[in-house]
Amino acid sequence: MSEAAQEFLRQAVRKSADLTHQQIIRRATQQSGQRPGKASFHDWEAARQRCYEIKSEALGHLDHYLLEFERKIQERGGQVFWAENAEEARRYITGIAEARGVHVVTKSKSMVAEEIQLTPALEKIGIKVFETDLGEFIVQLRHEPPYHLVTPAMHLTRTDIAALFKEKLEGVDGDDPEQLVAAARRALRRAFFSSEMSITGANFLVADAGMVAITTNEGNAELGMNLSKIHLVLTGIEKIVPHLDDLAILWPVLATAGTGQPVTCYNTLVGGPRAPHETDGPDEFHVVLLDNGRSELLADVEQREVLNCIRCGACLNVCPIFRTVGGHTYGTTYQGPIGSVLTPHLRGLHEFQHLSYASSLCGACTDVCPVKIGLHHHLLHNRRNAVSAGERPWSERIGFKVWRWAMMGSRRFALLSRLALSALRLMYRCGAEGTRLDPLRAWTKARAAPDIPKHSFRHMWRRESAEK
Amino acid sequence: MQRNENLGRERILTRIRSALVSPTRLRNAGPSGQIFASIADPLERFRKECAANSTECLVTADIAASTAAVSEILESIPLGEIFLQDAPLLRRAAAGWTTGRDIRWSSEGRPNEATKATITLAESLVAATGSVFVSAGCGGRGASIVAPVHIVVATVTQLAADLATAFEWLRARGTTTRNSMVSLITGPSRTGDIEKIIVLGAHGPQRLVVVLALHDE
Repeated sequence: MSEAAQEFLRQAVRKSADLTHQQIIRRATQQSGQRPGKASFHDWEAARQRCYEIKSEALGHLDHYLLEFERKIQERGGQVFWAENAEEARRYITGIAEARGVHVVTKSKSMVAEEIQLTPALEKIGIKVFETDLGEFIVQLRHEPPYHLVTPAMHLTRTDIAALFKEKLEGVDGDDPEQLVAAARRALRRAFFSSEMSITGANFLVADAGMVAITTNEGNAELGMNLSKIHLVLTGIEKIVPHLDDLAILWPVLATAGTGQPVTCYNTLVGGPRAPHETDGPDEFHVVLLDNGRSELLADVEQREVLNCIRCGACLNVCPIFRTVGGHTYGTTYQGPIGSVLTPHLRGLHEFQHLSYASSLCGACTDVCPVKIGLHHHLLHNRRNAVSAGERPWSERIGFKVWRWAMMGSRRFALLSRLALSALRLMYRCGAEGTRLDPLRAWTKARAAPDIPKHSFRHMWRRESAEK
Repeated sequence: MQRNENLGRERILTRIRSALVSPTRLRNAGPSGQIFASIADPLERFRKECAANSTECLVTADIAASTAAVSEILESIPLGEIFLQDAPLLRRAAAGWTTGRDIRWSSEGRPNEATKATITLAESLVAATGSVFVSAGCGGRGASIVAPVHIVVATVTQLAADLATAFEWLRARGTTTRNSMVSLITGPSRTGDIEKIIVLGAHGPQRLVVVLALHDE
């Protein structure tokens, strides 16, 4: 078992027994219901289908749309850098920051920045990085990774946050959310007005308009990008959409799926630095397009649609596994069902294939996905890939071979199941239930085993038929 | 020059092109009918959505009434400098006010850190979502985000029924080509990051006021 898999199991045991944690997550994920947003749709299913088609069209001609986007950004005086991997992206960004003598960076929420571990790289060259999304700011003060794609501090109560702020910020008294938000606003406003460089993610890259679409509720990305001298957008190549009008549906769908709002507070399109006739805005505008495994996923026709993901977080909120083990247990940048599907592609099947089993295959993620990614099918695809790559333990391989052999003949099956039941009964009589010798230990170490039936189904069936 | 240094560019494009040799098989598994409900009365819908997203919407008879309404709103805002988009309509309006406040015009640069309120025009309004489309042309890029209060002066002719219509207008008028930034704003800035409790005024304005005149004059 990989290191990551062992850690996952350790954390999952700890978190699933933490009842306070359970309560917080249950409440938070329930409140992420999509109702207010959904009410504004006449036909939500038609909306999902349309979004699926838009993203499929974009990915199906990805080279064409990326080049169109690049050309338009350059025409407005922006720069586009294509990074093959995390290292190249980090080098480009730290290079600009160093060359321009940047001291303070304000960052708005970007999962890609987490993916490439950007903040540590900037801090290493002496730059102060401020996370400006409130949730990200909170987890940054706690030196923790984000807990949830959309709600990074979902696992904390206002009491936790008040204690943290009292220790780290000035003028905090009590745990009233309004006062806590005001304290963060005061602390970050200083950063906004002194920062030379703003780094944001992107929700969509609009090819025909040559603009980056960024969505926030707080207005932090907008404040950062409009006040700094340099605005840098860090994003994945898969974020492209063909047309400006596609946003007329993607924006409401993203908001509804993510937070249940009909549309998010700020949906901003930005295409370049301050234009000559404009009165304010940054002097420089950069877009870093990151591949980092995405083009390989694109080559996999079966799983290509995973790149449709718009990072709304809906699949996390409905996932019984996420709601039990929580976001940090995954040990990945992207949590929940989408993270379990995506991470083996981004960071290796060997280390992360165990996540394909962190699912009950209930399919709630697939049902809720606004861009119609067949998430639980892809978990099965990843399982199959792990088996064909020889990544599963030998005991499982032998087990399945025996099972297959037994299933091929009814007599073999009857004989083997009788043997297995008798052996199990004998072991349990000797007190082996739940011990390391118990083949059902994964279940029985924390639960009582069900009674072992006296007779097999076949036996009962024969008896019933004879009586008639 | 940039392009020559960026060796990854060609490699990424080559990988994408070879990946796309096998085309995507589109699942045609969903309905394709009308997505959003149609809107009978855009003004009514706009007011309803504004109420839901905490935008203060004041409907006035004409621009003169809007000017008076803005002056009244300014009474409720703490003393200090205000920032106005340098547009003829707002120049005329400000000439009639007796606020005694310092006014900074957008032609003098972006709002200051201490600016109490910004007053701008809009590119358009969207009824379906109760939103305002602004651009860099509406007093600059910082005008809609820096101050605690943002007041938008608009007329009902600027009201688009839905987002699709608003995008059509943006395209037809060249708004996205002319401006380096265009923003759809739906209510005051907010966060739900603490226990999912909504708090207004996270980083941007705490109040968003739309003063909407029924007649252009």
